[in-house]
Amino acid sequence: MQREVGSLPLAPTLRTKLIFAGFRTVEDLAIDANELSREAGISEEEALECLQIIHPGSCGGTSLLSQKHTGLTLLEQEQAQGFIITFCSAVDDLLGGGIHLNKVTEICGPPGVGKTQLCMQLAVDVQIPGCFGGVAGEVVYIDTENSFLVERLVDIANACVEHCELITQSNQEDEHIKAMQTFTLQNILSRIYIFRCHDYVELLAQIHFLPVFLEQHSRVKLIIVDSVAFPFRHAFEDLSLRTRLLNTLAQQMISMAKEHDLAIIMTNQMTTKIGPRDSMLVPALGDSWGQAASIRLILTWENKQRLATLQKSPCQKTATVPFTITHQGFRDVGFPEHEVNSSQCEINPRKRPRNDDEP
Amino acid sequence: MTGDGCTHVGCRRGSLDLPSNSGFLWKAWCESGAMVILREGLCPGLSADMIRSLKMNNVKTVVDLVASDLEELARKCSLSYKSLVAVRRVLLARYSAFPTNAADLYEELKGSTAILPTGSNRLDFLLDSGLYTGEVTEIAGPTASGKTQMCSSIAVNVAYSLRQRVLYIDTTGGVTASRLLQLLQSQTEQEAEQVASLQRIEVVHVFDIYKLFDLLQDLRRNISQQLLKSGEPLRLVIIDSACAVLYPLLGGKQTEGMAAMMHLAHELQMLAHDFSLAVLITNFVTKEGSDEVRPAMGRSWSFVPRTRILLERCDSEMESERRVVSLAKSPRQPTNLQVQVQIGCQGTLDENKVVTESPA
Repeated sequence: MQREVGSLPLAPTLRTKLIFAGFRTVEDLAIDANELSREAGISEEEALECLQIIHPGSCGGTSLLSQKHTGLTLLEQEQAQGFIITFCSAVDDLLGGGIHLNKVTEICGPPGVGKTQLCMQLAVDVQIPGCFGGVAGEVVYIDTENSFLVERLVDIANACVEHCELITQSNQEDEHIKAMQTFTLQNILSRIYIFRCHDYVELLAQIHFLPVFLEQHSRVKLIIVDSVAFPFRHAFEDLSLRTRLLNTLAQQMISMAKEHDLAIIMTNQMTTKIGPRDSMLVPALGDSWGQAASIRLILTWENKQRLATLQKSPCQKTATVPFTITHQGFRDVGFPEHEVNSSQCEINPRKRPRNDDEP
Repeated sequence: MTGDGCTHVGCRRGSLDLPSNSGFLWKAWCESGAMVILREGLCPGLSADMIRSLKMNNVKTVVDLVASDLEELARKCSLSYKSLVAVRRVLLARYSAFPTNAADLYEELKGSTAILPTGSNRLDFLLDSGLYTGEVTEIAGPTASGKTQMCSSIAVNVAYSLRQRVLYIDTTGGVTASRLLQLLQSQTEQEAEQVASLQRIEVVHVFDIYKLFDLLQDLRRNISQQLLKSGEPLRLVIIDSACAVLYPLLGGKQTEGMAAMMHLAHELQMLAHDFSLAVLITNFVTKEGSDEVRPAMGRSWSFVPRTRILLERCDSEMESERRVVSLAKSPRQPTNLQVQVQIGCQGTLDENKVVTESPA
């Protein structure tokens, strides 16, 4: 079966012209640019461009089907991959090891529950050197709410460095000692690339240019968008346009995640949904946005306890676990607040074995 | 644009790249051929001079020629009326529909149709014993209702129990091999079997619609080549999800999305039909009016899948594994048929537990 002109990535006006001139399939277009421009009434450049799209074979296009993986190779890839830990073992277990590379994770929650704190924690954690079980990557942080506080990040980064230092002291391995020389606050901060976007146009433009940035910075392992909701929740009259833009953004994100082997974190706000009888708090941006991320984590409050619920995941059961936010960052509960603050040795023995278990 | 989806071109009888037993109707092809550009050698008597003078009068395609008043055309182009009539007759004969005997069709159907069980008795009951080859089946459901889980478990069942190859086209990054392995482990403990089954499932990631078109075109070429050789045939193509790639084109003030949607629809139907494949796609849902949930992408898409099932959580409990599956469209079963399945961590559609614990 010949491929139709309509299924080619041509500009709509060009496509209309071609179809109007009677060119319906790729076979019809087996002519040179000269003839095409005359027949379809388009400029010669346009004709040349269009022929290049139609016959990519001449420019060495690779077949998509040859890029397929069998379930087995995919499994090997997945098993070789590291996770970005959150420093809260309950949430790590919930997610099946931490934030997955190659996937899009959405974090939803009401204001003040700790979305941005978790983002900043992850921006630090992704940089943990490989010998400590991290992925030693860099971060792109897209801040749309002006909520990124560098002084808070310094606290979290210091706690993380201190934690790794304790591991080094107790193990005294050369590899760790060597890694610690470069794992400093200064380096952590310099590996976070922050972009501030003030409206949705800037955000879309930024995401459009990210692939170019990623080509230049191949060590980036995490992209954080905090938050997607804010720029899209106001100044939109045409809601169907919003849905389209959001879906485009979602597809761009997942395609970057797969291509560059990195994790994507997007945060989202909550909104009230009025049902027939009662109302409930649901993630914002509408129903179709729910499909954008393959993993969705919802952070909520219950009395004074913060809870993380895994709402959807392709490989983990949905469940709810508690977490807390301390001076050091995103942490497990189970320790009274003052103990966590006063003595770090109290948490660290608990942390260390888990970290050593990481692949 | 709806009509455009059905007109298909370039597949005239002479240039078919399909084996004759692949079970398709001539009709669709022939109807479609009519938009072909008039070209020298298309039929005897159609000379280059004739085409040139026809083109001067805006008669470019077969359909233009057939639809125009020949007497007037003969006068305008100063061509012989007789030769024009002759050309038209040949073209009409060539592109006209070819009747198929229903008895032959039925025989062919019996030979080419296979039913792929999904691995869940209740789901099979709903689908009238499984996924039919030659048809497009759709699973629609809201976020986190278990669409990807259902696709994964069907893929695993087809790969393991039926030992058939499966192509899984992932457009949202949802499929995970560790989950596939987990599902396989609940079916068999033999590692060799697990490995072999995993190898039968092929996963491709595609994130935009034109890449998907490229892929489907490649697939078509690949299968027709493979049919000549003998190899393990492909039986099931899963697209999870079809609308994730279409949504970026739909909405706002764009019409492009509609055309792309119809192309995809046509492509899928032909793929299913020509190669006796079962095509399984997933779709989102939209809420209309009060609280009625229906599959997304509107009316024109609703004609595409032959069978359509709707997946819903049966209670508001977030961690419940129970799902209500209802039949929204089917050529064989009464619609609104409902069954309950359980999407759990062991077997996805492990509904035996439901039967014993809480009869639906």
